[in-house]
Amino acid sequence: MIAQQLINGVMLGSIYVLVGVSFTLAIGILNFLNFSIPGLFMIGGMVSWVLLTQGWHWAAAIGAALAAAALVSLAVEQLSYRRTRGADPEVPLVSSLGFLVLLENLVLVGVGSDQQTFPSLLGDFNFRIGGLVIGAAQAISLVLTFALVVGLSFVLGRTNLGRQIRAIAESRSTAVLLGVDVGRLVPKIFVLTALFTALGGVMFALSYLQVSPFMGEGVGFKGVAAMIIGGMGSVWGAVIGGLIIGLIEVGSIWAFGADTVNIAVYGSLLLLLILRPHGLFGKPAIREKL
Amino acid sequence: MSAILSVSDLTVAYGGVTALDGVSLSVEEGEIVTVLGANGAGKTTLLLGIMGAVPAMRGRIQFRDADLSRARPHTRLAKGLVLVPEGRQVLVSLTVEENLLLGAHLRRDRQAVRSEIAAIYERFPNLGQRRHTAAATLSGGEQQMVAIGRAMVARPQVLMLDEPSLGLSPLFVSKVFDLIQEMNRSGLTIVLVEQNTGKALSVAHSATVLELGKVAVAGPCDALRNDHRLLEAYLGGSAESSGDPQPMRVGSQ
Ligand SMILES: Nc1ncnc2c1ncn2[C@@H]1O[C@H](COP(=O)(O)OP(=O)(O)OP(=O)(O)O)[C@@H](O)[C@H]1O
Ligand SMILES: [Mg+2]
Repeated sequence: MIAQQLINGVMLGSIYVLVGVSFTLAIGILNFLNFSIPGLFMIGGMVSWVLLTQGWHWAAAIGAALAAAALVSLAVEQLSYRRTRGADPEVPLVSSLGFLVLLENLVLVGVGSDQQTFPSLLGDFNFRIGGLVIGAAQAISLVLTFALVVGLSFVLGRTNLGRQIRAIAESRSTAVLLGVDVGRLVPKIFVLTALFTALGGVMFALSYLQVSPFMGEGVGFKGVAAMIIGGMGSVWGAVIGGLIIGLIEVGSIWAFGADTVNIAVYGSLLLLLILRPHGLFGKPAIREKL
Repeated sequence: MSAILSVSDLTVAYGGVTALDGVSLSVEEGEIVTVLGANGAGKTTLLLGIMGAVPAMRGRIQFRDADLSRARPHTRLAKGLVLVPEGRQVLVSLTVEENLLLGAHLRRDRQAVRSEIAAIYERFPNLGQRRHTAAATLSGGEQQMVAIGRAMVARPQVLMLDEPSLGLSPLFVSKVFDLIQEMNRSGLTIVLVEQNTGKALSVAHSATVLELGKVAVAGPCDALRNDHRLLEAYLGGSAESSGDPQPMRVGSQ
């Protein structure tokens, strides 16, 4: 039935939202198309899987996975972003892509390339409302995603920290002149994007009960698509974009079967870009910043 | 009197090209110092060097009894060195109010910040009416008021302004100069970079003229106003670039 598909689409979309928002923050604030993000997503899922199989408590395993992603993201900042800033924008992009491949293959060497089954922490628990079935993991990821995005948008829009971040987004040199400690804020932004992304990876693992070294790729590209659909640099645009992709994906599976997913998602993306080259919420001349 | 800010031997290069070559500047507490010079003379670089926003190859920045030569920009700002940057640099994606709040981001006394911002709105009702609209929609003159307001809520001890009258209508030019004099009368020390030499010399107490990154002339304004070397030093660059041997009248009143 349609309502159930809508719910499934929104739940799946919430994962893309987390990844899309991370890409948006990186491009909007730092002007950095950070392709290590799918790797951070994978680290979220894989590290929590490894630690769970070693008998760690779920909270400790997830916490450690998030911390690992944050550390890797700081390494990306140091090695990939900071060193290549001032070069053409393609250089940090390619460098971060190198990080993604490196991370995937390091994990592959560590645990093999097989798809692994993630333990079902929440059992078969689910909510039934009317005739609708909502899995507990999906419901948690949806609620958590929205809480995080609302919190993020409050911080960006209403706080001192948010104004400083938006100043960096508009003009780093002006931010410096206004006394914004850019050197200290930028690593924090890398940590923030890592936490969002890795949490997406954990939620994905909890919801779909599988992880692999390459789990970040498909989701990562859809996260980029979510960002582009929303109009690069707009947080709420990325939220809408992520939900739209989730809905298209679930809708196309339901209507035409699993093989058509990517055709539907990326076909729609192409069509949208032909009709609206700046995405749904992007502005042509002045690109909206966050 | 003792210098509140003293710059000595400041040298800044952009990728091997020296833009500022051993410049010294001493600013007494409570005075207006104007820094003059042709396009490319190094005026902006001097202010950026004082803020620590460009790396200095050599030189010393002394503020009261603190040596700030190695301090980063936010530390210098916290000490009271505040810049109204060239071209205003109002953040156009932020609202008027957000720009003003951003100016005060290092302060913790929010109540006082709020009332200072309210005072700015009272002084410039246009800004008050448009406090929640994007600064992009303001005129150049209004943006300059936001830029000065944003600097004032940072509680400057030395306020540096980089060509604040550039590109403004005559009405706003006189508003800017009135404001500068008013702020100075209430005790604020000001470093004013200007192309509008006549106006700058009429409000300032002392002047420093830069030429090709070096100090060409420096001294009290009374003495410099009729000094021919000042005219030559100041006009050297622009007369050269326009190919016009006829000296312009500067500082006439
Ligand atoms: N970011 C930069 N990179 C390279 N060279 C620069 C840079 N900024 C300034 N310069 C050069 O340094 C010299 C001094 O420039 P500066 O902007 O300080 O001059 P100015 O006196 O402020 O000029 P104007 O009146 O045009 O504002 C000029 O030769 C300029 O071309
Ligand atoms: Mg200048």
